[in-house]
Amino acid sequence: MRFRVVIKRVKAGGEPRFDAFDVEADPSESVLDVVERISLEKDRTLAFEHACHHGVCGACGMVINGVERLACITRIGEVAKGGVVVLEPLRGFKVISDLAVDKSRMFGKYKLVTPSTLEIVDGGLQEVQLEKLYDCIECGICYSACPIANTFPEYLGPSLLALISKSGDGKVPAVVDSRAGVWACHAAFECSVRCPVGFKPGESIMRLRRRLLKGELRVEG
Amino acid sequence: MGLREVLESWFRLKGRSLEHLSFAARRLAGIIMALYLLLHLVDISTLALGEEAYSALLNLFSGRLGLLADSLLWSILVIHGTLGVYSAFVEAGYFLQHRRTLLVMAWISAIMLIAIGVWVIAGVLA
Repeated sequence: MRFRVVIKRVKAGGEPRFDAFDVEADPSESVLDVVERISLEKDRTLAFEHACHHGVCGACGMVINGVERLACITRIGEVAKGGVVVLEPLRGFKVISDLAVDKSRMFGKYKLVTPSTLEIVDGGLQEVQLEKLYDCIECGICYSACPIANTFPEYLGPSLLALISKSGDGKVPAVVDSRAGVWACHAAFECSVRCPVGFKPGESIMRLRRRLLKGELRVEG
Repeated sequence: MGLREVLESWFRLKGRSLEHLSFAARRLAGIIMALYLLLHLVDISTLALGEEAYSALLNLFSGRLGLLADSLLWSILVIHGTLGVYSAFVEAGYFLQHRRTLLVMAWISAIMLIAIGVWVIAGVLA
């Protein structure tokens, strides 16, 4: 089947433009597969991020026909409208080039996440305790979908606040209990609806807020 | 960040969830009410021009225009209020598991209250 893939291109110093590529693709192919083919066969200058190809690394988040999705687990036939798919970089982040964005806004605040945010995983037969970050895959889709994170640069953001809410040590940095923290959220819940792994940041933020209201958390700093 | 980007983000409707649409409706209703307050201050200030000027302005809104204006204002008040009640619950961390049900109930309440209000306004103006 023939699809027209329209990609928003942003290059350093230039104005954004939209480039259209006509490609043959099976409707069950992922959007990422098609983007990779465009990059290999039609335009080697196309910039985008990807890694695992199965919805775990969170690298290939982008806006597909107006909705934030992971390109690797999105079938092109399911999202195309009249055979057309429009791809844009995630919102709420600085665009590096084309579909690649700078997520340091999110990762730069990870110092606020305490070690207790790590989940202790049952190691089974192994003697050593294993740790992993809670289920968030750090794709940035929640930032892009959130109307507040899009318009309030100081906002800590959905995924980070959700990770902090998992912290079991009963204390949070002062910034969490501030205008830039949980109190900026206005319950649009688009973060929870769009999250590709069901991490539900919106609900976590509200629970964190409730614990603050009830005085169950100690605010530090 | 420009005003256009802010408005595009708040009022983006394509592909958004009921929660986001409700957020946009609540925020838009709030903005319209703030603008109405300014308009109301202007309308009240015509009192300074004398009773005749004020009465002439009021007469403008006594017929169908009044029904339309009052109905719109009532609708906006109701939408902001019912969605505000929903928001007050979930933003305090309550009913999070049932927020979609609560939101649907808020919209049903809003539609019912708007219908009752418009019927009452129409009766008063008739």
